[in-house]
Amino acid sequence: MKKIIYLAAVAAAFSFTSCSDDDNTPAPPAQSSVEGLFVVCNGNYLAGNGSLSYYNPDDNSVENNVFQRANGMKLGDTAQSMSIDGNTGWICVNGSNVIYAIDVNTYKVKGHVTDVTSPRNALAISDNKLYVTNLYDNRIAIVNPATYTVTGHIDIPDMEASTGSTEQMIKIGDYVYVNCWSYQKEVLKIDTRNDKIVDRIQVGIQPQSIATDGKNSLWVLCDGGGWAENPVGFEAPSISRIDLNTFKVVSTIKLAEYSSASHLRYYNGNLFWLENGVQRMSADATAAPTAAFIPSTSYSLYALDINPANGDIYVGDAIDYMQDGTVTRYNASGDKTDSFTTGIIPAGFCWKTGK
Amino acid sequence: MGHPLSRDINQSSGRHCFNRAKFHFNSELFSSSEPSRHLLVTALLFLFLFPRAATARDNTLSHSLGDVTVTASRPLSRIGVQYTSIDSAALRDNISLSMADVLGFNSSVFVKSAGRATLSTVSFRGTAPSHTAVTWNGLPVNSPAMGLTDFSMLPSYLIDRASLLHGASSLTRTSAGMGGMVDLSTSPAEIGDGFNVQYIQGAGSYNTFDEFLKLSYGDDRWRLSTRAVLSTSDNDFTFINKDRKEFVYDDNHTIIDSYYPKDRNRNGGYCDFHLLQQIYFSAPRRNDIGLQVWYTGSVRHVPLNTVDYVDSRDFIKKQRDNIIRAIASWQHRTGAMTLSARAGYVHQWNAYDYAVERSEGIMNTSITSRTKTDTFYSDGEWGWTPGNNLFLSATLSVKHDRVATVDHAALAGVKSYDKGRCDLGASVSARWQATSRLGLSAVVRQDIAGRDADAPAPALFADYVINRDANLTVKGSVARNHHYASLNDLYFLPGGNPDLKAEHGWSYDIGVSADKAVGSRTNVSASVNWYDSYINDWILWLPTNKGFFQARNVRNVHAYGIEAAAGISTRPGDDWKIGINAGVSWTASINDSEPVSPDDKSAGKQLPYVPKLSASLTGTVAWRLWNLQYKWCYYSRRYTMTSNENTISGSLPRYFMSNLSLERRIPLHAVELSAKIAVNNLFNADYQTIMAHPMPGTNFEIFLSISI
Repeated sequence: MKKIIYLAAVAAAFSFTSCSDDDNTPAPPAQSSVEGLFVVCNGNYLAGNGSLSYYNPDDNSVENNVFQRANGMKLGDTAQSMSIDGNTGWICVNGSNVIYAIDVNTYKVKGHVTDVTSPRNALAISDNKLYVTNLYDNRIAIVNPATYTVTGHIDIPDMEASTGSTEQMIKIGDYVYVNCWSYQKEVLKIDTRNDKIVDRIQVGIQPQSIATDGKNSLWVLCDGGGWAENPVGFEAPSISRIDLNTFKVVSTIKLAEYSSASHLRYYNGNLFWLENGVQRMSADATAAPTAAFIPSTSYSLYALDINPANGDIYVGDAIDYMQDGTVTRYNASGDKTDSFTTGIIPAGFCWKTGK
Repeated sequence: MGHPLSRDINQSSGRHCFNRAKFHFNSELFSSSEPSRHLLVTALLFLFLFPRAATARDNTLSHSLGDVTVTASRPLSRIGVQYTSIDSAALRDNISLSMADVLGFNSSVFVKSAGRATLSTVSFRGTAPSHTAVTWNGLPVNSPAMGLTDFSMLPSYLIDRASLLHGASSLTRTSAGMGGMVDLSTSPAEIGDGFNVQYIQGAGSYNTFDEFLKLSYGDDRWRLSTRAVLSTSDNDFTFINKDRKEFVYDDNHTIIDSYYPKDRNRNGGYCDFHLLQQIYFSAPRRNDIGLQVWYTGSVRHVPLNTVDYVDSRDFIKKQRDNIIRAIASWQHRTGAMTLSARAGYVHQWNAYDYAVERSEGIMNTSITSRTKTDTFYSDGEWGWTPGNNLFLSATLSVKHDRVATVDHAALAGVKSYDKGRCDLGASVSARWQATSRLGLSAVVRQDIAGRDADAPAPALFADYVINRDANLTVKGSVARNHHYASLNDLYFLPGGNPDLKAEHGWSYDIGVSADKAVGSRTNVSASVNWYDSYINDWILWLPTNKGFFQARNVRNVHAYGIEAAAGISTRPGDDWKIGINAGVSWTASINDSEPVSPDDKSAGKQLPYVPKLSASLTGTVAWRLWNLQYKWCYYSRRYTMTSNENTISGSLPRYFMSNLSLERRIPLHAVELSAKIAVNNLFNADYQTIMAHPMPGTNFEIFLSISI
């Protein structure tokens, strides 16, 4: 009899097929209406472990993985960016070919859009129109945010579909300005009243990010191609200023040759970007700074943003790209004031104004 | 038999020896001589109509763990070597198995894959896939582009011999195996006299069909064999997808419900075809000549991960491969001298296409990648046995790789790179049986990859027999090894880094093994081994903020652990045969690098996707013409993050896997028939070996075989 019990125990032990050790962390607490910062974390390509963090700068608290905790499902593969319109946050999950609409207070999914190719950024144009830029597509998708369906596209003539790339968008008045990044050299001007490209201008190689003073100027950071054999070309990174009245490039500042520059931001008369740390330059400057505003030897700085309320600088560090990243907060003088841990590869910031 | 040490020499160099007796294999495995009047109708009838048709001779012929006969004398080539031989019964378990499946259940390596017919790589002693050197009949088959080997592309039915050389022991054959080496080969010993035919048909879950055909001929001089394998499957198993939800909207587009969908494995279908031709000729004056040519044609759809919504539209995500491997060999034995030479060629064409429906009927192609690799290989070996206890050898090898890769979708077919590299390798070795108990061996290798020449790779081995009765032997080694960057690491655009240094490091092994016959019916064996190795300048591809990944020498790794194995085979009665083989490994593969920043939590942590603990067990019970086999393996939690987080994004849960098969052979007058049913994932484990890639639950396949 003991043998039978023993054998049964052994058989039972062998029949344990897997142990679910998933973390059962509780749902994140709902927010009050204070300002906060969403951090979109890429996760690792094909691993489906992108995530969303929420940081409260008032009390320096952070809630990680809020999407998964609120919805009981993963955010997806290579989460790219987030933008907010009202109480709805639009999260582009590049590798999963999906855009999630979430309630920015509860993080719960309100809807999702699937008929998009490698979505990069979403921008609310009106109550019934959302623009979505894409990688591997030469169109900007037009989404009806009420029905979560793609209702049309803005075609970009002379851009190859297979290498098509549209990236960040900034809306000023009735126009949206779009930088075309991967294998591209252009900035587009779109009339949101008829969803047509009304102008386009060539800048440096691979315009990676754009920033504006909200008035007459648009600055474009071009990464220069990144690698010498890039078929679109290779040059030193640069920052160009476009006069929005004429839509012409009025000045270009070359950055250090072979440097890696990205994530251009504008705040209070200054431009900020990542290049061997955080660079700061007056918007009126005619030459690049000779030293970093916040120096760093890290290879892995991956995101930058400025708190529009007080000028605090937030820098995302992916560390080794296979562990939770960190975000370091500096005051406007460049002094470190806080840091917090996020998900894997913090890649995008989105401010929740509380309005 | 030639010179007493000729067998050792053959094994050490991986050559084929055409005198079948030297291999000590039971070549009756596939013979058919037992008459029977019965005929096969269906597989199930097979299994149940002939339960008592066995005879004592049948039992002798049954498949079992005892088919490999181990000679009592210790070959010089094995002095101090940590060696695992994959049992021939494991290779011949069923035709649906690839070497990835065989290694997963029969060795200490961890196999990472996203299911059948998907890229399957191994982690040997906690190292990267490219750190496992793989040869087929002595021909290096690691991809010169990526450095790794896809074991799912190697059907076990086309392999006659498979063995693992652990860690430093791989230096007795080749360099670059920082984790070890997998040595695969075909053998003339598996080709019987006269004409022989074997055909196997398999049919299983998910519309899976496997077919195998072998035609062979053998006489005193010639051994010819043609083998073909065709495998097709929809591979569309179902699973509950807990990584995403289906949302139910009302008419106002408000979510009113959600649930975890029962998804299918999307886009998992495949069709693989293999054709292997072997020709062996025993020429006069002790000259042996061989030629093996292996063609592989494969079309595989690449399964989507669990969080991909691309299938809301039509899409293409597909990989195609055409591979030709050819190796010609010559060996000459004269007195105390052995000379041998090989010349080989590998051509691989790989295509990867990714396209998504843009609008109805119009596809938007974003990736049209084509990679062509050509490898020319040649080596020669000289061996000399000045006395019965000493063997000296020297080898010289030349390998030229060329890789051309292009993405036609990227700006009108701009080439990513088209580069070649010539690798030269030379080694000298001495193996000395100093006393009847003490063996010593030394090898020094020098490799030059293109214009890069790392320091030589020396290795010292020793073993000592403590107890002859139990063959209780303690063995140890110390070695320096290196691994040069692959051509993708160096030149892929964007991200390749021509300034990469070779990965390198020292490793140390010590272990003890024993085997003993207990009475006339039982054999037992056991071994335990400890290893300690260091790999410096480990190459990783890391993202950059330029929008692409880049190869860098960024990591130092300290890998150490324990490998233990035990086996027993016994014949409790004339009709019975029982065998159990088990192994367990504890692997620490630790990031020994300095933290890259104050926030870096990876220092001192286990590398991702390396389980600390793994175990496997195979039990076989043969009774007359029946054969029951149970295979079990276990892998502990694998971290997916370098910081070793126990979260849903940071690790994959441990899992147990069980497979069961039952076979019935039916010897008839002129043919032998058999039927087999295999149950995979017996307990329907819900598991993943790669994050966000589901694996199939319980599934079945039935095999019918006829041998003439």
